[in-house]
Amino acid sequence: MTAKAVIETQDLSLTFTTADGPVYALQGINLTVNDGDFVSLIGPSGCGKTTLLRVIADLERASNGSIQVNGMSTERARMARAYGYVFQAPALYPWRTVEKNVGLPLEIMGIADAASRVKRNLEMVNLAGFEKKFPWQLSGGMQQRVSIARALAVEPKLLLMDEPFGALDEIVRDKLNQQLLELWAATKKTVVFVTHSIPEAVFLSSKIVVMSPRPGRIIDVIETNLPASRTLDIRETPEFLKIAHRVREGLKAGHSYED
Amino acid sequence: MSNTRTESNSILPVTVVCVIILVAWYIAAIFMNTVVAQPKIEALGGGFANTVNVSWSLDRPVIPAPHQVVVEVWNTVFTIAPWKVKSLVYHVWVTLSSTLLGFFLGTLLGVGLAVAIVHFKLLSKSLMPWIIASQTIPILAIAPMVIVVLGSVGLTGLVPKSVISMYLCFFPVAIGMVKGLTSPDPMQLDLMRTYNASVSQVLWKLRFPAAMPFLFASLKVAVAIALTGAIVGELPTGAQSGIGSRMLAGSYYGQTIQIWSALVAASVVAAMLVYGVGGIERIVNRHMGARA
Repeated sequence: MTAKAVIETQDLSLTFTTADGPVYALQGINLTVNDGDFVSLIGPSGCGKTTLLRVIADLERASNGSIQVNGMSTERARMARAYGYVFQAPALYPWRTVEKNVGLPLEIMGIADAASRVKRNLEMVNLAGFEKKFPWQLSGGMQQRVSIARALAVEPKLLLMDEPFGALDEIVRDKLNQQLLELWAATKKTVVFVTHSIPEAVFLSSKIVVMSPRPGRIIDVIETNLPASRTLDIRETPEFLKIAHRVREGLKAGHSYED
Repeated sequence: MSNTRTESNSILPVTVVCVIILVAWYIAAIFMNTVVAQPKIEALGGGFANTVNVSWSLDRPVIPAPHQVVVEVWNTVFTIAPWKVKSLVYHVWVTLSSTLLGFFLGTLLGVGLAVAIVHFKLLSKSLMPWIIASQTIPILAIAPMVIVVLGSVGLTGLVPKSVISMYLCFFPVAIGMVKGLTSPDPMQLDLMRTYNASVSQVLWKLRFPAAMPFLFASLKVAVAIALTGAIVGELPTGAQSGIGSRMLAGSYYGQTIQIWSALVAASVVAAMLVYGVGGIERIVNRHMGARA
């Protein structure tokens, strides 16, 4: 059985023109994300992992090469509302309550059963009972969970997540990682997940894409093959450490820790 | 809780400032009025007591004492039916009605311009210089022309005054709203892009709510300016009614007490308007989940 490709790029590159000359944010990116994959993009700051995610989401345009999402151009895919996007920060609208924030995309897309979807997705991220709260009344971790519920509410097949837990403390992060994994196992979504944490990438992913800066490029792609249902304890097993080691070696080979 | 504390804490400083102003005013009234009151004071035999008594109770003083203004305001507000021409309430109402219409029109114009400027890059370059230039022209120079031009097409009375009021007060609204409508951060805008939201959805669901604090800051400035505009608009027409006409008539006939009572009325109305906008702001804030 060959899995269907959700995202496919060929020789993708993106160059930003700045006052100090061109910045090669992405160069020669060849990447295939199959249906049901959990793909992590890992690398140090400036390696283009967020830029790559933004190109997939049609928030940036590639300078060269080709990219297809669901067999369409990224623009068509965005217009078809093919994905849900979770940003680094919750990006909640402070004047909307939790339920109104989660309902925002449904309002915009004119989806009918908004109320039940909002309720279901807030339950999924363990935020039932917080519907009427405003964002400032929630902790940072809860706010980020609201933003995940908001992305899930449109029930996208593809979930793009840009360091969603980057600003959270270790304990909250572990918990959300566990929840995200359960969600992925339950819904069979395709996830592209940007992170700079090696344990997070290894724990969550079915496929790890190691990236390196200047120019932003892929230096290794690792299939993890860890058991589908795993707990945080798996991080102490030899298999886990072996993969983590390979990721670390890849990052080193990309000279990404030199500066 | 904290609110009551700040209020009781502020009573003392507010009282002190008021007392200082009153004392300075009374002293100034003595010095400024002795010039015209000198013959009368001397006729009474001179001395400090006579100087004070006479200079604080002249019919046409250079500067009236505070209590004279209070008495005039009291008499023209509470002892005359509000629909009579001699009632200050009548004049306040005339000015207030053109102020409110001008404020409404100015807010519409300001918000409209801001929406246009935010959505069309070209407009911000081509329109902004005109908007700024409009405010560099003294309103006293523009006002008579507005009244003549509008009068020639048959518009008199309320409308020309409101137009002058609008001309002054659209400016802070336009500037504040351009700032406010562009205040959402890139992530909030990107979010809308991922939803493939239309321009009007972005405007109504993101830009307008985000602009509310800027709008209300501008409206407080605008409503006070709108009143100024309405008063100025009454001057060149030789209007028979309104706060401006009271000032004008007062200056024709040397009725300084009448001028000052009109000034007091204007400042009370301005303060009430600004408080009114502040009250609406608090209600809107509560609905938008502002921290209590």
